Amino acid sequence: MSFVPGLGLAKGMALTLWRFFQPKVTNLYPEVPADIPPKFRGRLQLLYDEYGTLKCETCFQCAQACPIECIDMGGVDTKGRFAVHWGAPETYGERREESALRRSGRTVPDPVYGHFHEIDLDAVDAILDEVDHDPREMLRILGAVQDAYGFVPVAALKRISQTTGAWYAMLYGTATFYDHLAVGAPETSGVGAAPASDVAFLGALDRALSGHGSDASESRANG
Amino acid sequence: MAILSRTFDRLTLPGKIVFTVVPLLLVLGAALTAAVVVAGPVVLSFLGDNLPLVRFVVAATIVLLMTIPTAFLIIYMEMKVIALMNLRYGPDRVGPYGSLLSVVHGLKVLAKEDFTPTGVDPIVFTWAPVVVYMASVMTLLVLPFAPGLFGQDLNIGLLYFFAMGGLGVVGLLMAGWSSFNKYSLLGGLRSAAQVVSYEIPLTLSVVGVVLLSGSLSLNQITLDQSGSFLDWYVFRQPLAFVIFFIAATAEANRTPFDLTEADSEIVAGFATEYSGMRFGFFFFAEYVNVFIVAGLTVALFFGGWNAPLAWPAAWAITPHADLAGMGIGLLLALAIIPPAVIVALGMPFYLLNSQVKLWQALIIGFVLFNVVAVGALLGFAFLSFDWVVGLIWFLGKTYLFVFTFVWMRGTLPRVRIDQLMGFAWKWLLPASLLNLFVTALAIVVVESIR
Repeated sequence: MSFVPGLGLAKGMALTLWRFFQPKVTNLYPEVPADIPPKFRGRLQLLYDEYGTLKCETCFQCAQACPIECIDMGGVDTKGRFAVHWGAPETYGERREESALRRSGRTVPDPVYGHFHEIDLDAVDAILDEVDHDPREMLRILGAVQDAYGFVPVAALKRISQTTGAWYAMLYGTATFYDHLAVGAPETSGVGAAPASDVAFLGALDRALSGHGSDASESRANG
Repeated sequence: MAILSRTFDRLTLPGKIVFTVVPLLLVLGAALTAAVVVAGPVVLSFLGDNLPLVRFVVAATIVLLMTIPTAFLIIYMEMKVIALMNLRYGPDRVGPYGSLLSVVHGLKVLAKEDFTPTGVDPIVFTWAPVVVYMASVMTLLVLPFAPGLFGQDLNIGLLYFFAMGGLGVVGLLMAGWSSFNKYSLLGGLRSAAQVVSYEIPLTLSVVGVVLLSGSLSLNQITLDQSGSFLDWYVFRQPLAFVIFFIAATAEANRTPFDLTEADSEIVAGFATEYSGMRFGFFFFAEYVNVFIVAGLTVALFFGGWNAPLAWPAAWAITPHADLAGMGIGLLLALAIIPPAVIVALGMPFYLLNSQVKLWQALIIGFVLFNVVAVGALLGFAFLSFDWVVGLIWFLGKTYLFVFTFVWMRGTLPRVRIDQLMGFAWKWLLPASLLNLFVTALAIVVVESIR
């Protein structure tokens, strides 16, 4: 817009001169301690005891208290009997050590962390509509979901938690407590299945090797 | 002899120092007194006979020594001012407000290894920083700092100035060529192209001032601008000032024309292969150049050491101190006044604050006395000596322009090399020719009307 030569220069110079007199934003750290919000907990860190064992007991209290639900974890219970987990199955580790690795900020190179298949949640929605999203009808909901899918998918648990307002931790505990409910059947949750690109690649490889192997890729994808 | 050595061995360490230093000082003092008495008149008459030579040597030494604190000050100023413009605090650890950080930088550079890479031309490589630095310092020799305070009042001062400014390029080119590094060579060639191109509008813009003043001597040009600030040449040659300022920025290799260094493009250009004090000399020369260019701008266009408004003659106070007339009273005053003032300044702290101990109060008093004494001395000098006033005005104006250079560095991005050359040849050169033409025409017309 401006046709005055040097106006841009003058504007820039005026800006820096104005900055020269503005208050400064540097934190004078050693002299002035940083102003930390009272709820700040610092970096989440898993500690090891003197025997090199993780101090985490997989009690999920931290995950339950986390206001933004950023904590995922998986592990075995204290007696080493059951695999327990918290969070979406594509994000938790099955072993504590890997879980600790995840929380240390590094990714864990393990095929079990592949993406799980999205399931059709229309049945869950219908069940929820039927009970009017009432969390007090939780056992009925879970039983209906078990009947509809043959197991209780993690995605369904998440949907129930979102729409009824029940805590995911409570829901998870309820679903895993009852014998007639089976949470997250591994063969259908897709944990460990090869990604679609790999399937396509292997199928193409098979076809190229055998000449007519479209069946092979189908079976691989199903398996 | 044995007794003497045994007695000496039995002394404590302070005793040993005292009994070594005091006789040494006595002997040296006696020898010096004898030398002054015997050879003093001869030496004095010899120096008096060669007064211009002595003056030159003294001036060159002072100018050479002056560059070091100047460079330190400008480096600190650059760090601090750019930091403040970036909403940072900048250096604040060493010294008050970090003011000694540039000194620490200087010491660091001194302590670094003076490394000569394989494949360089060692002689040219070694002499390039010297040439650059000496060119800067020699330019400083003709700058008039105050009435009567200049290295040499050459009648071709301005010509000498630009010649020495051109010599600096030779040093940069030497550094670039001898470094055995293509980036350095690029930097050196860039600097040669840039400085030679901008030398022309720089010189041509000044010719207008030279026509008005009728002299090439910087001292004479400054004298011609005495009076009020309306007599400054910036009001008679505004276009020349703009051209000169832009071209001088390019001459000093400052942002936005710092293509010779261009850290982000050719990794500091000609200075890539340099380390230690050789690099330090380049660094120093750059900041001395900033001072020089600012000083030249002030001398040519902003009245040099002239005050903007003349001090009313009725207010002029010349303190009259007849020190010789006080006789023995002077000695008594020197002995009594400092302790008395120290106690007088320190006592209020001791009496009004029970936390402060007597010795602490005395230290406070001593510091305050020094402040007061230095202030009084400076005030006395300001009132008594013409050149102190001139020096303060000159340095004030010069550092205002140094601040402007730093300010520009904090604001403007670097230009491209083709923009740089195109601007010099297509805009600055015609503009300076036009300015020269108009000035000459105006002078002819005014002369003919008279």
